[in-house]
Amino acid sequence: MTDDTVISATPAQPEPKQKVWDAPVRLVHWLLVFLVAFSWWTAEEGEMQWHYWSGLTIVGLLVFRVYWGFAGPETARFSRFVKGPGDVLSYTGNLFRPNYRASFGHNPLGALSVIAILLALIAQVVLGLFASDTDGLESGPLSPYVSYEFSQDAAALHEDAFNILLIIIGLHIAAIVFYLVAKRVNLIGPMITGSRKAVDVEGPASGIAPVPLWRFLLGVTIAGLTVFLIVWLPTTR
Amino acid sequence: MKIKLFAATAVLALGLAACGGETPAPEPVAEAPAAEAPAPEPAPVATASIGETPADPVAFMKTRSDNYKDLGKNFKVLLDNSKLGTPDMAAVSAAAAKVNEYAGLMGTWFPAGTGPEAGKTEAKANVWTERADFDAKLANLQTEAGKLVTAAGTDAAAFKAQFGPTGGTCKACHDTFREEDKDK
Repeated sequence: MTDDTVISATPAQPEPKQKVWDAPVRLVHWLLVFLVAFSWWTAEEGEMQWHYWSGLTIVGLLVFRVYWGFAGPETARFSRFVKGPGDVLSYTGNLFRPNYRASFGHNPLGALSVIAILLALIAQVVLGLFASDTDGLESGPLSPYVSYEFSQDAAALHEDAFNILLIIIGLHIAAIVFYLVAKRVNLIGPMITGSRKAVDVEGPASGIAPVPLWRFLLGVTIAGLTVFLIVWLPTTR
Repeated sequence: MKIKLFAATAVLALGLAACGGETPAPEPVAEAPAAEAPAPEPAPVATASIGETPADPVAFMKTRSDNYKDLGKNFKVLLDNSKLGTPDMAAVSAAAAKVNEYAGLMGTWFPAGTGPEAGKTEAKANVWTERADFDAKLANLQTEAGKLVTAAGTDAAAFKAQFGPTGGTCKACHDTFREEDKDK
């Protein structure tokens, strides 16, 4: 990049943009942000019917996101962003070197937090599906398959495990603030718009390649069907 | 072999007895002097009298807690069945009868001296200070639990329609008189 050319009196050329996150990844991300907060709030307020549907929607989002980790564009794929300890260490060591370049998609360290959040959320919804309250008044859709005692234990763990989720989310936000302050890298904007300034970044200039629509629709169908079966199967026992 | 079989039968019999029509009134366990056992009120409904402190409040409260757990267990049977296209009406009737039975006895479960000052309990102190409201809410439960038994004996649709109103009376009382379990 030659910086000299950028300074000009005329309205500048639009800066080159690199697309890093596709719409489904961004949508899943922000829906999870909203629904995790909403689930917490509805549980606190005892609005269990809303909590039930909030949780089931999260189930659908998680099913889709895991599928998208195999079928989505390159920055969404597990095989591309999940790296071994060697890569994580060398990335971390490089953070403050002059040759540092912002990763294309998840960096090797951030990938760990993505996996941690996904696993914590999966554990959380699975526990919720089997949980029931002490009174036997409210319960997750799969609770009829388990005993009262089991569903009580699931409910207690569901409540405790939320703290683990909070810790991981806290780390995630702390990392974003770190990049913003210490590295002057804004990670929030691209998660909203999908694109970032293509300056000092890794990856192809064009960014992620488009994915055929049918793959997205297939994912939505799988996710929807999963939620439907979870709700419907217990009523047919 | 025979001994094992005998033991198994005994356990089974005990189990059946426990699930059967035995009165689940909270009786302080074993060594508690019988003389001071909770004097059951003649009528469980809406008497303002709070009753005498049992001899062993802690054991009494433990039994109360166990009774509520068993009540929750029976309610889960109802909840599970309420979601089914074709509920198991025999199980529903048995659970509804049990809920109704507990509801009838519940008025004797909160004598003086068995609140949070006496030991571990989720019952809040206002059970004793706002007794009229407590008794009114209990009377609602008894009414709706009675209807539930009738509905369970009628058909699945009647049971499903009555499940919510009955559960609502549990919740109404818990919202006012039961401690939110903060962390266990």
